[in-house]
Amino acid sequence: MHTQLEELVAKAQESIAACRTPNDILDARAAYLGKKSVLNGLYARLRELAPEERPAFGQLINQARTKIEGLIAAKDKEIKNAVRAQQVQQELDPGMPGWMSPFGSLHPVTIVRKKIEAVFMSMGFEVAQGPEIEDEYHNFDALNTPQDHPSRNLADTFYLQNGKLLRTQTSTVQIRVMEKYKPPIKIISPGRCYRNDKPDPSHSPVFQQVESLWVDKGISMSDLKDTLQNFATAMFGPDVKSRIRPHFFPFTEPSAEMDISCVSCAGEGCRVCKQSGWLEMGGAGMVDPAVLSMVGIDPEIYSGFAFGLGIERIAMLKYNIGDMRILFENDVRMLRQFRGESL
Amino acid sequence: MKISKNWLSRYLTHDLTDEQLNHALTFSGIEVEATLEMPQLPEELISAKVVTASPIEGSDHLKLCMVDANDPEGLIQVVCGAANCRSGMMVVLARIGAVLGDLTIKKAKLRGVESFGMLCSEREIGLSDEHGGIIELPSDTPIGVSANELFGLPDTVFELEITPDRSDLLGYIGIARDLSANLGLPLKLPEIKEITAFAKQTLPLKLRIDEPTLCPRYTARLFSDVVIAPSPLWLQVDLIKSGLRPISNVVDITNFVMLEQGHPLHAFDYDKLLKENPDDEGPAVIVRKARPDESFHALNKKDYQLREIDMVIADGQNPSALAGVMGSSGSAISPETTRIVLESAAFNPSSIRRTSYHHKITSDSSYRFERHLSPEKTIVTSLRATELLIDFAQAKVASELIDPYPLVDKAKYVALRPAYFERLIGYPMDVEQIKSYLTRLGCEFIQEGAWHKEALEAEAEIPAVCDAEPTALWFKVPQNRVDLVREVDLIEELSRLDGYDKIPMKTPPSRIMDHHASRIQEVVSRHLVTQGFFEVLNYSFNDPASLQDLGIDPELNTQKLINPQSSNQSIMRVTLLSGLLENIRYNLNHFERDLKLFELARIYPADHETEPLRCTGLLTGNQDETHWKHKTKPLDFSIVKGMLEALVEMLGLQIDSIGEYRAPWLMQANSLAWYVDDEPLLMMGLMDAEVCEKFGIDLGTLDQQLWMIDIDLHKVIELTRNAELTYRDLPRFPAVYRDLSFLVPESEKWLSISECVQSVEPALISSVQLLDQYRGKQVPEGFRSLHIRFKLQDEEKTLTEERIEQIVASVIKSLTKQCKIQMR
Repeated sequence: MHTQLEELVAKAQESIAACRTPNDILDARAAYLGKKSVLNGLYARLRELAPEERPAFGQLINQARTKIEGLIAAKDKEIKNAVRAQQVQQELDPGMPGWMSPFGSLHPVTIVRKKIEAVFMSMGFEVAQGPEIEDEYHNFDALNTPQDHPSRNLADTFYLQNGKLLRTQTSTVQIRVMEKYKPPIKIISPGRCYRNDKPDPSHSPVFQQVESLWVDKGISMSDLKDTLQNFATAMFGPDVKSRIRPHFFPFTEPSAEMDISCVSCAGEGCRVCKQSGWLEMGGAGMVDPAVLSMVGIDPEIYSGFAFGLGIERIAMLKYNIGDMRILFENDVRMLRQFRGESL
Repeated sequence: MKISKNWLSRYLTHDLTDEQLNHALTFSGIEVEATLEMPQLPEELISAKVVTASPIEGSDHLKLCMVDANDPEGLIQVVCGAANCRSGMMVVLARIGAVLGDLTIKKAKLRGVESFGMLCSEREIGLSDEHGGIIELPSDTPIGVSANELFGLPDTVFELEITPDRSDLLGYIGIARDLSANLGLPLKLPEIKEITAFAKQTLPLKLRIDEPTLCPRYTARLFSDVVIAPSPLWLQVDLIKSGLRPISNVVDITNFVMLEQGHPLHAFDYDKLLKENPDDEGPAVIVRKARPDESFHALNKKDYQLREIDMVIADGQNPSALAGVMGSSGSAISPETTRIVLESAAFNPSSIRRTSYHHKITSDSSYRFERHLSPEKTIVTSLRATELLIDFAQAKVASELIDPYPLVDKAKYVALRPAYFERLIGYPMDVEQIKSYLTRLGCEFIQEGAWHKEALEAEAEIPAVCDAEPTALWFKVPQNRVDLVREVDLIEELSRLDGYDKIPMKTPPSRIMDHHASRIQEVVSRHLVTQGFFEVLNYSFNDPASLQDLGIDPELNTQKLINPQSSNQSIMRVTLLSGLLENIRYNLNHFERDLKLFELARIYPADHETEPLRCTGLLTGNQDETHWKHKTKPLDFSIVKGMLEALVEMLGLQIDSIGEYRAPWLMQANSLAWYVDDEPLLMMGLMDAEVCEKFGIDLGTLDQQLWMIDIDLHKVIELTRNAELTYRDLPRFPAVYRDLSFLVPESEKWLSISECVQSVEPALISSVQLLDQYRGKQVPEGFRSLHIRFKLQDEEKTLTEERIEQIVASVIKSLTKQCKIQMR
């Protein structure tokens, strides 16, 4: 039995020395120290010895065990250190491109629309939707547009064979929401609008607008200015100023035109703002009492403001795009530039 | 805190059901944590007397009892195993026929001895969890009284969570007062009688407060001729229902008064208190800080090493109590006690809290004192206990009330402006209503309008708020409401009592926005963008000629413009495809070969009431960008299908079937759709090169394939509306996986193969995966080789190897029969 033990240790020493991988170490540990190992079996065979010999031999087995354990631990460390050393030594070229899973982007007009929605939603506005194919009533009559108003012309508005028309502004949604819901109403409605304009650097027959409407007790022009300034700040940064100037729209009274200080020259005057220092953003005003009455809201109790913004125009200002037609070309070289804005 | 409805009803006239009471408590701001119903007991349960109780031979605990229950047929024989059962005791007997929950009392035989009933423990009649022995009724209980009468049943016990600011609610009367104010129900307070009879001899006591900031008031009254005995049954029952154990009349009375009034009391054995100086007339009670190295053996039989910041009630020499927390065992009431000192005091809440926290002792007393109790409550509490001691412990009053009150709790006056109520809560409350609510809470209305400090008695403390407001209503606040200090505190009370449900909402919940529709659009467009797609925006028009090129009849189901800018923009678009084909042509012409484009927009078919949302995409070229290590490959069927499959999963769509899809612009092969209710929801396919050519795209020369994906977004939005996801508990037993490899004829499709596998054991086979497909060498013509893996899992147990083998065999058999497979 003594010889067996000695042979065993010698054999273990040999095969531990031959280990090359962490897996070899696991195998060696199982083979020489595991439950089914010869060494473990020797403990059971102690009883074959005379009682007085047993303690001494038991000790010998323990010594052998400790020795093998030590050898395995040392070899294990050696192998793992070698792997580590290899990793440390590997040449690295950190500039080589990593692998990206593919990604594209949203269209810049969509990106800006989503930003606008987020800004208004953070101010407590809801996003409302309405049809693009409208009737005369919602697009003109209910918005207090006179029967002979030039905007009703074929040269300005697209009409369909079925007597309907393509909405010329998202204000139609105002009317539809006020017909259905009682105040407080606090909405924006973004979407496509249509005007019979030939495409040029600043016009397109198809474009997107966002309309804002807030009707409640005690809403005033002051709320309009607040909302406009908050929007401008969120969209263009803290240094942008806003103002409103008197104007005319059939569906608002008083009416105003909204400007923000030029984002390109900070109000100094440049090509973008035609040296005025201001950029026109859209129309605004207090909802005309006649419009409120028409949808059954008592103008003596409620008041509200409305304004409309052109989304393409904001996108063009924001990203310094000089021609609106670029937005409808859908050139991937243009779209790819917006990957950083998309998600 | 546990409160019994029957006990509460002694202070509040009401006819509330349990549910109504629960609701009233909850909306008073008193949370009901649990409700325990104590049902009416059967009439077979009555008081009875054990005349004899003798051991039964062969049993170490059973006794044969002869019980007198006023039965005309004589004594009743009952076998009882309780250790405390003995002859002469009054017990609760459940006679034959009584039903106690699941237990029906029947004639029984124990150790060969017949038994005709059961002697009950508290647990058996649902009074408490106590089951250590049978109930011992007071010896003067008459025989034959119904248990319902004895124990005040039926009853309901409410377990209440009192918020830490409301120390006034730590007793029955406090709860009753709050409910009375809330519900407008009459409050009935126990009458406190004047003390008229005194003992022949008065007893001397030296009472001194050394620490007035820790103990602003300490009252003591002495009693002689006390007889320590069990409390009357009603009092014991009251305590048990509120979760306390009866001990003896004196201790029970202090506990009862604590529960009733919310203010703890303590009783010392007068004869165990020591003098301070040998020539003092009597023993001492001194409120002081503990001395260094002073230790204390408490009633809970534990020793505590005190710190100098601990407040103690000491006799002339040693601590007799940790003030407000626990008494010492040395000065405790014992069966031999005849003379007592009754303490009713007020302590500094922070001091109590520090001591209780440091020494890890909490008691019903410390729980209350650390929530701040008013010194003004000490007198009424002491008087109430005095009355009960006289009645139930035969005590004689042996002193006037000794009442050092060094730190007087000044009266509180608070002004309230009705307009401020409206400003803060959102609706007006009229002045009479305000007065009515606050008066019911115990406040006293003083006057309306400006009121100055000079006009008040010297001891009043007035917060400076609104003391010159002409509309202010001035109230004197009850001193036990330590939480009412400022105007807003009163406003909270008013709003709470009037009900938070009366507070109007200003803005209705979001109702205009279709949040779901915008979320689904977001999910779809984000998914496509992360797959490499670019979004395009095209005009909302179709060219009739392009529609014809796609095989769509421009006259059918379209809406036409009267005044289009050109004839190729004359139809409101019914497809996004023609615009996308334009975009592909444009970009290919600009030497962009790898393209993935989509548009998400409305289309305008004439037959549709709304303008349905659609999402269509075209993709061609390689899947990824070129990379030095991970080589890219051309888009193929499985890549494009995977994009839509991922979307189906993301949206949680429940698809009926996946099958062929036909469109004039698609190649027949490789085109398919996901169907719900026989309508295609998502579609994909390979664009027909001939159609593409009409749009100026020459796929043949480019050697590229153009794939289409198309999503009926309008339907997707409606199908996923209100869909709810429910979490499934994780499996408790391990899953096992088994692989199979076989040849299968080309005519057998994957979906039917996987369904066939699953149908063998639908409850156990939870998924089937396709690991590999191989055609070629060693696979005969007309066949393919598939490698599948399926997952076996039982929700109830670990599957045995035997059962697994059996399932695998069934799967093979089933596949062979239904899908004509050949095992490899």
